[in-house]
Amino acid sequence: MKPYDEDPGAHHSKSVTVALILVAVTVAVSLVYAVQYFAGGPLRMPVVTQLYDLDVSPTRGLVAAAAQDGSVRLWQPRQDWAMRTLPAHQGAATGVAFSPDGSILYSAGDDGKIRKWDVSAGQVRQDFDAGGQPIYDIDLSADGTTLAVVGQDGIVRVFDAASGDVLQAIGPSEHVGRTVAISPDGAQVAAGDGAVVQLWDVRSGKPIQTLRGYCQEESLTTQKACSKANKRWMGHEKLVTALAFSPDGELLASGSEDTTIAFWDWQTGKVKWESGGHWAAVTTLVFDAQGKSMLSGGADNKVRTWRLPGGKSSAYYEGHLSAINGVAFGFEKDTILSASDDGTVREWETANQKTTHIAWAQYGLQWEWGETLVYWMLFSGLVGLFILWGLWKFKPWGHMLALILYIWGPVVILGLPLLETLSYPLSWGLKLRVAAPLLIMSAWYLGLVLLLTHESVSDFYESSPSLPLSERLMLRAKTLKLRGSIYTTAVWLLIFVVLYSVLRRFNLDIAFMRHWLPFIMKGSGLTIFVSLVSIVLAIILALLGALGRLSKSSVANGVSGFYISLIRGTPLLVQVYIWYLGLPRLGIVLQPITAGILALGVNYGAYMTEIFRAGIQAIGKGQYEAAEALGMTRTQAYKRIILPQAFRIVIPPIGNQFIAMMKDSSLVSLMSVWELSYRAQKVGRQYFRALETFIIAAAFYWILTVIFQLLQGKLEEYMARGERR
Amino acid sequence: MTDPIIKVRDLHKYFGLLHVIQGVDLDVQPGEVVVIIGPSGAGKSTFLRCLNFLEEPSAGSIEIAGMVIDTATPLRHQRKRILQLRRKVGMVFQQFNLFPHMTVLENIIEAPVTVKKQPKKEAIAKAEELLEWVGLSEKRDEYPSRLSGGQQQRVAIARALAMEPEIMLFDEPTSALDPELINEVVDVMERLAREGMTMVVVTHELHFARDVADRVIFMADGGWVEIAPPEELFTSPKEQRTRQFLAHIL
Repeated sequence: MKPYDEDPGAHHSKSVTVALILVAVTVAVSLVYAVQYFAGGPLRMPVVTQLYDLDVSPTRGLVAAAAQDGSVRLWQPRQDWAMRTLPAHQGAATGVAFSPDGSILYSAGDDGKIRKWDVSAGQVRQDFDAGGQPIYDIDLSADGTTLAVVGQDGIVRVFDAASGDVLQAIGPSEHVGRTVAISPDGAQVAAGDGAVVQLWDVRSGKPIQTLRGYCQEESLTTQKACSKANKRWMGHEKLVTALAFSPDGELLASGSEDTTIAFWDWQTGKVKWESGGHWAAVTTLVFDAQGKSMLSGGADNKVRTWRLPGGKSSAYYEGHLSAINGVAFGFEKDTILSASDDGTVREWETANQKTTHIAWAQYGLQWEWGETLVYWMLFSGLVGLFILWGLWKFKPWGHMLALILYIWGPVVILGLPLLETLSYPLSWGLKLRVAAPLLIMSAWYLGLVLLLTHESVSDFYESSPSLPLSERLMLRAKTLKLRGSIYTTAVWLLIFVVLYSVLRRFNLDIAFMRHWLPFIMKGSGLTIFVSLVSIVLAIILALLGALGRLSKSSVANGVSGFYISLIRGTPLLVQVYIWYLGLPRLGIVLQPITAGILALGVNYGAYMTEIFRAGIQAIGKGQYEAAEALGMTRTQAYKRIILPQAFRIVIPPIGNQFIAMMKDSSLVSLMSVWELSYRAQKVGRQYFRALETFIIAAAFYWILTVIFQLLQGKLEEYMARGERR
Repeated sequence: MTDPIIKVRDLHKYFGLLHVIQGVDLDVQPGEVVVIIGPSGAGKSTFLRCLNFLEEPSAGSIEIAGMVIDTATPLRHQRKRILQLRRKVGMVFQQFNLFPHMTVLENIIEAPVTVKKQPKKEAIAKAEELLEWVGLSEKRDEYPSRLSGGQQQRVAIARALAMEPEIMLFDEPTSALDPELINEVVDVMERLAREGMTMVVVTHELHFARDVADRVIFMADGGWVEIAPPEELFTSPKEQRTRQFLAHIL
């Protein structure tokens, strides 16, 4: 065919060329940025620097924080920006500690150095030799004489703070300790060693105590046996992540990945009090000077205060976007300070647990978003190469892939951080400054997408010009349909992103949700089971009911009419109660699950009776006559001819009923059946986190219905096989 | 003369106060083809449907292949006998009434298997034979919705024949068909007649009546107006009503 022999590219418009160039530029910029980033190049998205430790000098009026970028940042009270940045370490700075008078600051870092700073001059006075391996934690004794550190090499080192002499080097330990604490007088040092805590005498270097978890019932030696006997396991089950001595040196507090905090009488090796409250690892612990309270920070983004004696949680502070790494009591009475991975130091009022001030090391996106964007650049750059090739070769798939990548990607990858950034407690000017890179990228992608979806470009990629007309038309129809679903999915994604951002603003306790999600999820099996059995019962009842309604027999008619009237005339909630409370009076004691299934099945059966009746009546009279004329009995005609066809008609409405039932099955939670809602309700009430648990339950119900809808679609397709044209 | 295979005596049918069939008699010999024509509302279809009790006659008696069902006994007491009678009578409908949820083959073997309890293998063999006979072998696994009207009606005929009836009733079998599809159905009916099937046909296909029928009945207002061999009825009808009707449609 002559018209198609010409070069297919010969008649493409100018805008296609522009689109090609734009895509090429996008791909090139993405790849260049990603490659230079991973190679340690100079181009960096402005991100916050995570803060790994915090200390306060009340006498000097200074806050110091160890930062991910290796610096130590100093603030004066209520200052927005760091007053001074000490370029302290190669790699990250991991620990800071002020001397009691505030004149000296010790810092530790990934480079294995411990540096002693003159605070007023901002100069390093001395470097301590700590082995050169990254240091995880440092602690200065309350009297300021002794400094203890622990690092990757697993050796606990104790220094004389004044001279820098090594007083003791203990270890290396088998399970690298993450945390270290030194007693107020510098006589004992404690370090985490897996799930246990070891104590040594500093002077002799001899171990003096091992704080190991044990069962409340001391004859039981394993955790399994202990939990089986319903006894509490005292101490820790997982890695110890935080340690602190009380001011009088009597108590040692330890926090762990198992989310608990234990207050040990370290001389006897017994736990005095044990508390839970964080829903993720406890990362840091600090006692107040009087030993009346303690602060803790957690990977659940929360700070908690604990009252002593007793170790009961008295308050929590939420607002940080990421894990807490450092906590301290504030300059004024009734204030506390916290430093977090989100790059801020927050000041809180203890009276109402509100943030009173936020100090930044530097403004920028959350660190994770910066990382995500780099990986996005790399990914989109690589996929972009394929797209470019497809577009160059005039392939419809190239254009479609471009739409998917450049619409779906930015909606999620840029939408999430953008909405989050715009909700920061900052002035609009600062918000826009922080969000600037995101806004620029969004504008770029928007322009690209507008061009790609413009008729002058998209028409060109509807089908391959080299195909015969009939195939071109078919391909075009297919392309348009696929494009439609790409746009629809984009809208879904956009709504998801907005919904997610709104949920984030609920300040949900994500760590709590993560902790309880498996427990609530276990209820979905029972929910599915109850719904499935109930729907089967309902279908049987509905079928009988419908046949009764259609029958000429007065008895059948009366029974089914009464059934429908009574059940439809009373609330399901009331019916559930009557099944549960009423039957035992007749001496019939049902399992709650059985009672629930009966209540649901009988209730839905009544509603579905009408559906079945309509379905049966929708089958033409001719079908019945044809069956009769062939000599079939009434029963045979119904079984073989009428009901199979009626069933196909009623499947969509029954599917709807099933979806409704799956959600109404939550009513059986009234009878303490451990399905989704009951679990959500139980946990939510116990921890005053009902919103969190119900959101989890809602998500599971939704997932279940979505899965079921997919199955229903397949079933309908199968049942409609006679209708295909 | 042999015994008639269909014997209708004084058959009445009321729809409420409407006296639709007003006492008719009919004898049909084995192998005979009887065509009933007449204006709409004459009661043709109702009469036909009374023959296999799809409509319950209000009064009268019907004997088919030696089995007598008389309305003197309430029909609800004769259900079993009616079912037995229906096995001897095949029926083809204007709207085909194939079972849409079954393939062509399944449509045909349905009744032999469920009603006559014929082994499935046997039923399938028979069905394939019948499909061959109506010229639709290649459609055996299609669903009815994918067939043309003419093809559907031929399947419907095969379905009725699968029960090996002694009598076939046709209720306006070509009225729902596009004109170009009528012949394929009429051809099958002609072949069936030639093979000696007893047939009672309500139709407007006068060609068929002329070529195949042994007798043609002109029916109006619930009764026979004239019964005669086709050449006689079409060329020299005795009754005024018949002449009027024929003048209208010819």
